[in-house]
Amino acid sequence: MLVYTINRILQMIPVLFVLTVVTFSFVQLLPGDVIDTLIGDEEAEDPELRAFLMKEYGLDKPIYIQYGIWLGKALQGDFGKSLITRRPVGVELFESIPATVYLGLVGIGLSVIIALPLGSIAAVKRNSATDYTAQVTSLIGISIPEFWFAIMCVILFSLHLGWLPSSGYVSPFEDLGQSLYYLILPALAVGFRQAAYTTRLTRSSMLDEMNKEYVDTARSLGFSEPKVIYKYTLRNALIPTITISGLQLANLLGGTVVLETIFAWPGIGQAIYLAIIDHDYPLIQAGILVLGIIVVVVNLLVDLLYRVLNPRVALG
Amino acid sequence: MSQDDIIKKPETSTGPTRRQFLGAAGAAAGAAAIGGVATEAQAKRKRNPSRGGTVRFATRADSRGLDMHRNYYYYVSHPLAATSMGMMDLNLKMEPVPGIAVGHEVSNGNKTYTFNLRKGATYHNGEDVDAASIKWNLERILDPKVGHSFVRSAVKDVSKIDVVDKWTVRLHLNNPSAVLVPNLTYYPIQFMAPGSVDKADTHPVGCGPFKFKSWKKFDSTVMERFENWYETDDQGNALPYLDGLVGRPKKEDRVRLTALRTGEVDLIDNMSYADGATFEKEYGDKFNTWPVPQVGTGYIGFNWKNGPFSPKNPHGKLLRQAAAHAVNHEAVHQAVFNGVSSPAPAFYSDVSPWYMPEIKRRYEFDPDKARFLIKKAGAQGEPIILLSRDAYAYMHQTGEIVHAMLSEVGLNVKHEIHPYSVLKSKWRKGEFHLDSSANSYRPDPDAWYGRSVYSEAGSTKLRTGFKNERADKLILEAQNTLDKGKRHELYMEVENIVNEELPMLYTHYIPLIQAGVKKLKGYQPAFPGPYSTQRAGLRTAYMS
Repeated sequence: MLVYTINRILQMIPVLFVLTVVTFSFVQLLPGDVIDTLIGDEEAEDPELRAFLMKEYGLDKPIYIQYGIWLGKALQGDFGKSLITRRPVGVELFESIPATVYLGLVGIGLSVIIALPLGSIAAVKRNSATDYTAQVTSLIGISIPEFWFAIMCVILFSLHLGWLPSSGYVSPFEDLGQSLYYLILPALAVGFRQAAYTTRLTRSSMLDEMNKEYVDTARSLGFSEPKVIYKYTLRNALIPTITISGLQLANLLGGTVVLETIFAWPGIGQAIYLAIIDHDYPLIQAGILVLGIIVVVVNLLVDLLYRVLNPRVALG
Repeated sequence: MSQDDIIKKPETSTGPTRRQFLGAAGAAAGAAAIGGVATEAQAKRKRNPSRGGTVRFATRADSRGLDMHRNYYYYVSHPLAATSMGMMDLNLKMEPVPGIAVGHEVSNGNKTYTFNLRKGATYHNGEDVDAASIKWNLERILDPKVGHSFVRSAVKDVSKIDVVDKWTVRLHLNNPSAVLVPNLTYYPIQFMAPGSVDKADTHPVGCGPFKFKSWKKFDSTVMERFENWYETDDQGNALPYLDGLVGRPKKEDRVRLTALRTGEVDLIDNMSYADGATFEKEYGDKFNTWPVPQVGTGYIGFNWKNGPFSPKNPHGKLLRQAAAHAVNHEAVHQAVFNGVSSPAPAFYSDVSPWYMPEIKRRYEFDPDKARFLIKKAGAQGEPIILLSRDAYAYMHQTGEIVHAMLSEVGLNVKHEIHPYSVLKSKWRKGEFHLDSSANSYRPDPDAWYGRSVYSEAGSTKLRTGFKNERADKLILEAQNTLDKGKRHELYMEVENIVNEELPMLYTHYIPLIQAGVKKLKGYQPAFPGPYSTQRAGLRTAYMS
């Protein structure tokens, strides 16, 4: 497993390299430019000042040189400063990534906690009232737009019942109780939709597994039904579920601009969105690179988890 | 002897006399200021024992960055605006009144300004707000490597700064100007402690009523009361009353309103016009609603640089007139502003000291006349691009309605909504014909006419490209005229030219609706914003 992990980490290098090249090229294609963002209306057409700022920010050099300079510094851990706030990019990311990771992990955790039992029970009690309820609920979850569900949650739990805050963020390192209090609604909004997908997937995986011969064998050997279901069948059925949950988590860690806006959640989605609008190259580059690393690492962890769930799965 | 040659007696820290400030540009409210300025004797910083608390203020916008010279703190929304001050303060009518400077002299034909500074005013780190620090601040702003061009534009004509003594600073200008004093108010000029420059991007140290504590982008700006601030209330109690102020940026209007209703914040700005129309009626027993009649003016700008509306087209003026006749201001008023705003025949509304009641709209809504003029101009359905900014709903909503109205009279209009950086690129390249936009205020009208109507101004060149020799002459004359009545007349003539020639068609005065919990007392919203209005806004607010 160690060799496999090292190999996978080495494979990340070309992936991340291509990612940075694509991102750098993509940013150049955006309409407008950073000088228009930095400069006021009064001097927007002043060629001297524009040239000065281009030089000041190193934008007067050919794109491949700019990229080379950026890459050289990034390899030494220096992502530069935001062109807009002039704070180190590391600080900008450090402020927003934890909030996103926190919401993503809890949201996915919540979805798994809901989906695994619900999907399993629906499969075991196929065509029962429980199954139909689970299917209808998950269908609703998939059909309802995430932002609408979030708004409904705010109206119900914040405005009408007054149980939960409607928006805001408290770091778990500052005050865990308050942090969880502010997290419940955003995590519910994230988790409900993800749970809907995962429930349906778990149910269908379980049904597939339950029709396999090893399940009949286990039953014929006299194992109890809970043992057959939860020790053998569910374990094998989890592989696609884990795959999808991993992808969902990676997707969430990329930021959810709409949910972050509804809950005034200071996450990476808003940060990168604004950086793109402002053409804040260093922040866009570093943000996407860090997110790329997170996605690759999550995928690696998912692959390693296969092996934990089923030792017969060959790694490599 | 001309008015600008009158040498005024330097003032003591008790504040200026009424005569002294009436003599200065835009300083009609000296009397109002007198009571609000603390003497050193008063500066024992006595606090009103029953007033304090912390206000959580949800704003539409968050600051872009912390360095107050590289950025500018927008006076309506950015909470950081509470942390610093300019040379002058503003009163409720947005007129300049004593701030860090308690008096000034104008000499050398409006080319030299000598400011007497308030003795005892300090930055939050204890440094004196003295002449040397003012010189350092202004020179840093003037450095193109540092100063944001909007900030720098307020003092761009300053050629030299002399420290006369610890409490006197003299500014020499390249050209005569009557608008320097209002340009030195806190928006956009703000002073930071020179000793804090290394932390300007991470922990700014200003000289305003609140001290910076922390900033988390998109999350919070935490500030605490500056215990050594100079302003006092009528009873001599130190201002501000509040112990703290927490800015909570929440971009969406409904998110802010919900946070107010659920008790997560105490005050919100920029309530949507749709909610503003009914909120007081529905929730007046639980919340206070404060309408601020005008924080800006909306307009449709015409591209004079190229395209069908420009003078390069022999029928450009006919088409501008046609477009003006096609716009139903009442419909915009109802549909976009829910009846909360008022149509704008000129740039300043009746709440401004620069209101011009004599100005009437030149081209009233008349779609038949618009069709006639389009036909007369021989327009053949050339594509017309109308731009709007994405960040402000009223801009693109006005754009959508104007798009429909112009299409209705036969113009072939395409409406595009973009972020500011893209808009600026399109303005610069002339890739537009109409522009649904708005402008908010700096205290002096030169900030509008001198920046957006004067043909040589960068903003005019960037956006409309308007050129009119008579308007230019009037604007330059007004820039060098201290007498307010005379300037009013000059600007009125400019406004008549604008209404006739149509570099832009004024549409509406942009109102601002704020709301707060009943426990928030003493809050008086103001034209110049909630942070830096003398003896108003958040300076006099407290939680009961």
